[in-house]
Amino acid sequence: MNPAVHLDGITKRFPGVVANDDVDLAIDRGSVHALLGENGAGKTTLMNVLYGLYRPTEGTVVVDGEPRSFASPRDAIDAGIGMIHQHFMLVDPMTVWENVVLGNEPRTWGGLRVDEAAAREAVVELSERYGFDVDPDARIEDVSVGVQQRVEILKALYRGAEVLIMDEPTAVLTPQEVEELYDVFEELTDQGKTIIFISHKLGEALSAADEITVLRDGVNVGTVAAEDVTREDLAEMMVGREVLMEPATTPREPGERVLEVTDLHVEDDRGVEAVSGISFELREGEVFGIAGVDGNGQLQLVEAITGMREPSAGSVEYLGESMAGATRREHIDRGMAFVPEDRHERGLVMSYDLVQNGILGSQHDPPFASGGRIDWDASAAHAESVIEAYDVRPPNADADAESFSGGNQQKFIVGREFERDPDLVVATHPTRGVDIGSTEFLHDRLLELRAEGRAILLVSSKLDEVQGLSDRLAVIHEGEFSGVVDPATVTEEEIGLLMAGETLDDGSVSGAAIHDAVDDGLGGGGLDGTGDGSVEAGEEGVDA
Amino acid sequence: MSRRDGGRIPGPVRRVLEPFVDRTVAERVLISVAAILLSIAVGFVIVLVSGRVAECSTAAWTMPVTGLGFCYDPFEVYAVLFNGALGYPLAIGEPGLFNPSWTPFNLSFGLTLSETTLLIFTGLSVAVAFRAGLFNIGTQGQLVVGALATALTVLALTSVLPTGPVSGVLVVVVGTLAGAVGGGLWGAIPGALKAYADANEVITTIMLNFVAANVAYVLVLEVFRAEGSSVVATRYVPEYAQFRPWLFPNSSDFALLALAVGVAFIGALYYLVEHTPFGYDLRTSGVQAAAAEYGGVNAKLTTVRAMTLSGALGGVGGAVWVLMSEGRWIESVPDLGFDGITVSILAGNNPLGVLPAAFLFGILKGGALEIGFRTDVPTELVGVLRGLIILFVAMPEFFRMAGRYAGLRSGGPGESGGSGGTADDLDGDDGPTGGAAAPTERGEADA
Repeated sequence: MNPAVHLDGITKRFPGVVANDDVDLAIDRGSVHALLGENGAGKTTLMNVLYGLYRPTEGTVVVDGEPRSFASPRDAIDAGIGMIHQHFMLVDPMTVWENVVLGNEPRTWGGLRVDEAAAREAVVELSERYGFDVDPDARIEDVSVGVQQRVEILKALYRGAEVLIMDEPTAVLTPQEVEELYDVFEELTDQGKTIIFISHKLGEALSAADEITVLRDGVNVGTVAAEDVTREDLAEMMVGREVLMEPATTPREPGERVLEVTDLHVEDDRGVEAVSGISFELREGEVFGIAGVDGNGQLQLVEAITGMREPSAGSVEYLGESMAGATRREHIDRGMAFVPEDRHERGLVMSYDLVQNGILGSQHDPPFASGGRIDWDASAAHAESVIEAYDVRPPNADADAESFSGGNQQKFIVGREFERDPDLVVATHPTRGVDIGSTEFLHDRLLELRAEGRAILLVSSKLDEVQGLSDRLAVIHEGEFSGVVDPATVTEEEIGLLMAGETLDDGSVSGAAIHDAVDDGLGGGGLDGTGDGSVEAGEEGVDA
Repeated sequence: MSRRDGGRIPGPVRRVLEPFVDRTVAERVLISVAAILLSIAVGFVIVLVSGRVAECSTAAWTMPVTGLGFCYDPFEVYAVLFNGALGYPLAIGEPGLFNPSWTPFNLSFGLTLSETTLLIFTGLSVAVAFRAGLFNIGTQGQLVVGALATALTVLALTSVLPTGPVSGVLVVVVGTLAGAVGGGLWGAIPGALKAYADANEVITTIMLNFVAANVAYVLVLEVFRAEGSSVVATRYVPEYAQFRPWLFPNSSDFALLALAVGVAFIGALYYLVEHTPFGYDLRTSGVQAAAAEYGGVNAKLTTVRAMTLSGALGGVGGAVWVLMSEGRWIESVPDLGFDGITVSILAGNNPLGVLPAAFLFGILKGGALEIGFRTDVPTELVGVLRGLIILFVAMPEFFRMAGRYAGLRSGGPGESGGSGGTADDLDGDDGPTGGAAAPTERGEADA
């Protein structure tokens, strides 16, 4: 039997870059195949070739034993290949069934009218066949991200997809939703569909896939059966060297209070309350982690703390002073470093070189500015020291920020902020898009800052990261802390429940209660961060 | 995310704009030179065709081989345009390459440089606002207000101060400052409206142009009109209180000193934009407002400051127009502010680029006058040729800016050319909130 898909010697070149180099890949029908690799390994490029978004420079795409040449995704869809992008392409105010049939509606009246009954029925039938628990009449804006993802899958199936490509399907899901997605995988493959999913998470590939192909620098490093390999094997294949999987946290006694947030309420851009009464405090030498599915208010919370957004109620006290009405500039000047969530929008000025980006936030301060003049020599020296220390590649301070890969941009931002000599570091997704080796380094550096007695507020959607690095871990759900837990003892399932907004019977305490407890110096435990937490943290090193 | 989301632009528009977005300085200069040559080629044809259509007794030029006669000689037109604008440094109709009797201090060159000088100020005015991400269409109004402030201040001062060179210097300096203050305040209005009331500066500056022109007109008409004047104009300021055309003929209305001031302004503005914290804030606001805010830039204040500075530069342009060109405020204010927009675009909004851009405009102005003297080519046709050159030269820059404004920016494959690093962006591996990441790729996925 022919493999469902056979990529035969695919090479894809962009000017100056070889994204895929002679990649051979055969995918069996009815299997789940994980495409694993670090950022920039060429995974998405390869799948875009398969989906007809890019034409390969060399090589052929063979579907079902038949060589194909796709001019556009339309051709790929016709050949039975569907792709579900990381960012869903659904119309929010429309219903589930409307979204599924959109663009391929069954018609009556000689093509003038959408046959709504037939369309809805087809969607219901599809959804039942694969055991999807989806209400066809629900509006997309009202359903969870997990359901939206299933709608995307339905959309592909409706168009006759035999091979489903999923780009980072778990990135936006809670752990429970991830489990449900794996069930969906099983259901689909039972019925003969083939699934290829892109990932950079080892655990995910190991638990969901039958076979795993690892790409590194655009080259197929090898295809292995999931049951034959370990996490460490895969990590080594991805990075090309052995990787230390556990950050070494050491217990430490927190010092003076650095940050105190009291009953904070923050609205988002639309005036909707995104943070609803959060309180916590943070001491010197402490890492306070905030976990949660993106979009649950962590962004607005961080913005309110760093002076990017005015809270609607409540207070932020920093180093014993209220920050009410303080400008962003004053926040920076008082020693608050901030790794923003979005490097392209905020963290870097994309058209500036790294010399100019290196002084972003310090452009009025010595040693970079004195007497109304910017000292570009000092700025260049600073940028070069960050580049060197944080292994930014290529090491060229005069290159524009936009020419660097996402991971290297991130390393530069983190380096700039960490080296600001801060009292408080607010780090949002500090290792997003960063490869394993550099993630390891950034984590070590973060723990060094902690050891130096700086306070660190760590927001991440990577469970393993916040769990492995934090002294205390809060889980945020719809603008409130659904619990503050000891990362050393909490299980991933428990965090998952908290992320979904449920409360734990024993461990969880309300935000205000935590606040009081912390005031009494109890600190919510978590100082021995080397327990089970760091075993779980194995994945985080890989979660590049 | 909206501004950087290249995916929202329709495909054909993207394909037109994209090649212009990422160009190096050298490439842009080459493109400009090629554009001038191309515009000359097109203009050549237009001159020929009009010359064939027009009627005249003797052909100015006969096409070789075919023997067809044309009323206008395209070679002569362009020779006069460029050579004449400089006062014929190259010999025409005589042996030798250079014209031995040429001196730089001739009338034509003076007219060219006069226009250049005025456009330096208005070009800088527009450029500064552009760099802050603000589209100041109001330089014209700021110039009108600045010019009136200068004229009134100088007239008031000269009526109380003793005549003489010392008070002349004082009056010119104070008068220019008055122009800067007048233009600056006029520019601060749309700046404040933008910052604190979210009013689009394109709209407000255009509207304020009308307000400025008409208020100034009424004020002069009703209050400050010179007695017995047939036009709506103030009295002339005394000669000692003007920028005097020392070496150049009087009628050229050009003062080297004013040009020197303009060049000094270019240097100062360049330094301000590139080498000061204020300039850093201004530029960062212009290219990426969210990053500027993150970097501690007060967006509202920067907007007001940039517009004030822009207005002040327009006002100085007005002061120079009064003190160098007209000697008084007069209702027929030339469109220096609007030409300043094109000069700025031509200059890539770089202060240093304003000098050659303004000079090109000056040449076209001086050359056009010269064609009028020397040939039978109608002034309208000369206007067409000028327009062609400007259009051709400005379009690539304009596309580049439009593309940048629309959020096209490669950042994608091949930009770094090194170490395979950029392949990262192709992966689009960013987490959930990285919605704005890698706009190019996502755009393609959308398409």
